[in-house]
Amino acid sequence: MNENIGQLETRNDLQVGRPVLRHEDERLLAGTARFVADIRLPDMREVAFVRSPVAFGKLSPVEIPADAGPDSVWTAERLAHRVLPICATLNRPGFHVTEQPILARGKVRHVGELIAAVVASSRAEAEDLAETIVPGIESLPAVSDPEAALDEGAPRLHDAWEDNVYLSSGRTIGPFDEAVARAEVAVTRDFRMARVLPLPMETRGCVAGFDRGSGILTLYLSTQRPHLIRTMLAEQLVGIEESRIRVIAPEIGGAFGGKSNLYPEEVALAAMAMELPFPIRWIEDRYEHFLSASQSRQHVQRLTAYAMRTGELLAIDARFLVDGGAYSMRTSTAVVEAGMAAAVLPGPYRLGAYRFETVTVATNKMGVGPYRGVGRPAAVFAMERMMHETAVAIGMEPHAFRARNMIDASEHPYVSVSGLRYDSGDYKTLLSDAVEAMDVASVRAAQRLVTAGDRRLIGVGFGCYTEQTAHGAEEWHRRGSPFEYGFESARIRIDPSGSVLVTTGIKSQGQGLETTLAQIAADALGLPHEHVHIRHGDTELCPYGLGTIASRSLVMAGGAVEGAATRLAGKIRAIAAANLGCGPEDIRLQDGTATGPFGNLSFAKIARIAYLELNALPPDIEPGLEVSYNYRPPVESGTYSSGVHGARVAVDVDTGEVELLDYVVAEDCGRIVNPMIVDGQIIGGAAQGIGQALYEELRYDETGQPRTVTLADYLIPGAVEVPRIALRHRETLSPFTVFGAKGLGEGGAIAPPAAIANAVSDALRRYGVDVRSIPIRPRDLWTALRDKSFAEMEP
Amino acid sequence: MTHQEITLTVNGCRLSAEVERRLSLADLLREEFGLTGTHLGCEHGVCGACTVLVDGVPSRSCLMLACASEGRHVVTIEGMRGPVADALREAFRESHALQCGFCTPGMLATAIDLIARKRASSEDEIRRELAGNLCRCTGYQGLVDAILSVGKRTDL
Repeated sequence: MNENIGQLETRNDLQVGRPVLRHEDERLLAGTARFVADIRLPDMREVAFVRSPVAFGKLSPVEIPADAGPDSVWTAERLAHRVLPICATLNRPGFHVTEQPILARGKVRHVGELIAAVVASSRAEAEDLAETIVPGIESLPAVSDPEAALDEGAPRLHDAWEDNVYLSSGRTIGPFDEAVARAEVAVTRDFRMARVLPLPMETRGCVAGFDRGSGILTLYLSTQRPHLIRTMLAEQLVGIEESRIRVIAPEIGGAFGGKSNLYPEEVALAAMAMELPFPIRWIEDRYEHFLSASQSRQHVQRLTAYAMRTGELLAIDARFLVDGGAYSMRTSTAVVEAGMAAAVLPGPYRLGAYRFETVTVATNKMGVGPYRGVGRPAAVFAMERMMHETAVAIGMEPHAFRARNMIDASEHPYVSVSGLRYDSGDYKTLLSDAVEAMDVASVRAAQRLVTAGDRRLIGVGFGCYTEQTAHGAEEWHRRGSPFEYGFESARIRIDPSGSVLVTTGIKSQGQGLETTLAQIAADALGLPHEHVHIRHGDTELCPYGLGTIASRSLVMAGGAVEGAATRLAGKIRAIAAANLGCGPEDIRLQDGTATGPFGNLSFAKIARIAYLELNALPPDIEPGLEVSYNYRPPVESGTYSSGVHGARVAVDVDTGEVELLDYVVAEDCGRIVNPMIVDGQIIGGAAQGIGQALYEELRYDETGQPRTVTLADYLIPGAVEVPRIALRHRETLSPFTVFGAKGLGEGGAIAPPAAIANAVSDALRRYGVDVRSIPIRPRDLWTALRDKSFAEMEP
Repeated sequence: MTHQEITLTVNGCRLSAEVERRLSLADLLREEFGLTGTHLGCEHGVCGACTVLVDGVPSRSCLMLACASEGRHVVTIEGMRGPVADALREAFRESHALQCGFCTPGMLATAIDLIARKRASSEDEIRRELAGNLCRCTGYQGLVDAILSVGKRTDL
């Protein structure tokens, strides 16, 4: 499908595929990298927000303190002429739109909602002033539980809606009723997954300044999608054209999906800056982050699996109820999680029939957005728990039951029961890699010797997934997204001195894209990667792009960089050939030199010819050495990475405590551009997944008050909690992408809840206890174990 | 009186400032002295990103008041120099011990202290010692490997 694959494979001087050290590291290790909180503009003032202390209530107009300065307190009324409310849309019938004011008006709908903004010369003074403003709120009964939100008499969040449902949808695919009638085994489980959040170490933040002379508004913003935020700002702000807005995403201290949506704070800062003679800054503190950065993954699930005693899986019936929070965020919307979960549930399995129902409800909590994996951690948890429990019900070894039902590598391209087109992958080999690494046989041997007196039980479990990555316009259109992430951009310029500058529309947030994209450009151009300098994150400097989400950047921006570099290499050959008395096909590009049969020219010399010595440039070649290229994938349904995670645990029967003994990830992300970075992405993702499996949980009380607002309440794993993670790599190249790469940024985070929950359930089989909720809290296991007794025989 | 005149040594330079009594050391370093290499991840002493060396001891600059640094020697990431710091920087790079780099300043400060106290001889020991520094990107493996590789060196 792609002519470049052969070309790359025949060369032995490739930089793609090598563990090249990262270009980003030097500045980060020196402490000279500039994050948004490090931006200083002359005469900059600080902003603090007044936020709602209650989850639901009627809001009176804000009273401005008598001694407050004229530009110090900003209310909804003050900003009304400048901003429009955020209304995230989705082109799906029945979807309910929310209208989210930038600063609240009339009602507040979650704790932390913006009510007013305060400007002062220091952050401490701004916070002091904000504390003197006590909003007049008449509390209303709130709804904080997604099931309660569906009750007939539940408080309604949005007056224009008939109930609290953002969207419900469902489908029955294949001969579902026949499968149910034929099944010899039916297993049903109810699962709950707690709300979590991406929680990058750097909080959100924004610096905004307006140049009255030029009419240019500049925002420094910690965001994954600088260009799209700019496009959205032009729509949300009154009285400024997009061409006069510049968004700069400086160094980003992690994002994981949490910095992809447009936030009201960003619109407020932009609007206020347009009215103020000085720039302003707001840096979110961690407390605000827990109140008002996007949250994720809260599910209530009911699953039934139908199977034959031979081990044939016939059908799955799934119901997902997702807590969408108070407002749909732009552009993910509140239903991003449910739609994805339903689509990806079948995973790597051959499944004849599938019925699903998804419901996303509004509650008086912070809105939800993408978090590394979007819907997949929940779907994989649900599916893989069912694979484990169904195998137990049949009396089969769970991994054998999985292998029995997995799609063969030879069946690709395979269209899943939910309509996803898997391009390639060898799931059974990944599974056997993981099974071997976990030494399942020795676990089984140890388990056979267990007696009632053993208080520490071991178990092994797996979680398998396929992951759609780098999907194009067709897929986003199918989902109803108002923005279709259909292409990515690169512009490459070789300067007269011969150095290479690549600008691109994506935004790196720690993934090392400055390194991997340099490797790709270097191979295509024929020069060492150290000479390729990648810039990103500035809408004025870089070509338009969609940003870094959905595991798309390496494939999409890599495709753009490869395309631009290949075209630029062609021009270098043409200039060299004209000066070396040979044909362009005779020119070889290597180490920054164009070599022909009768001589050679350095890229620097060729660049000088192209810019400054045009007497040596044939008139039919355009001056300059710069190429722009937008990559649109030839197949837009995406390329599928895959993986199998294996966990071995010990569970203390007396305390319910889980110890993670061993963890393996067997994965396949196609062509690996930088093995060091790939390992880092997988291990880091797995650590986040381990956090969700065992520790992380955003708790709210029944009145909608958040109970986890510090890092001492919300526990993310530390170095002690994350075990050494073993990796097994396979490279099944994608037939659809440039040099066969697939996306991998999210994969590591997808399967840990499934694998660990299955391992814990495996450990507790003799007690008839299995995991029903995530995180796996010691007290839940302890409670479940309390009235159970040990089965002398293996069940 | 809400302000106080203080003098301290930062990265080898003697500096004076008139500071609000409520000002944290982190804000003094970042906002007054422009040393933005020290990062604030939580401002309640849990994440460890803001860790600097005060008289050689890793300290949470978000919890320490600027006034309390009177007469002290403070070293931030910008001033971490010498063979141990150099070896750690190289090891961090080689072992992919950083991704977004936001927690890195605190990790480096803690790692320098571990090497100095000879608490970097095994993986378990390093993991325990790193318990006060959170990283959301790396899963810690690269960090542990980097610190262990420097801890094993006998020439430092």
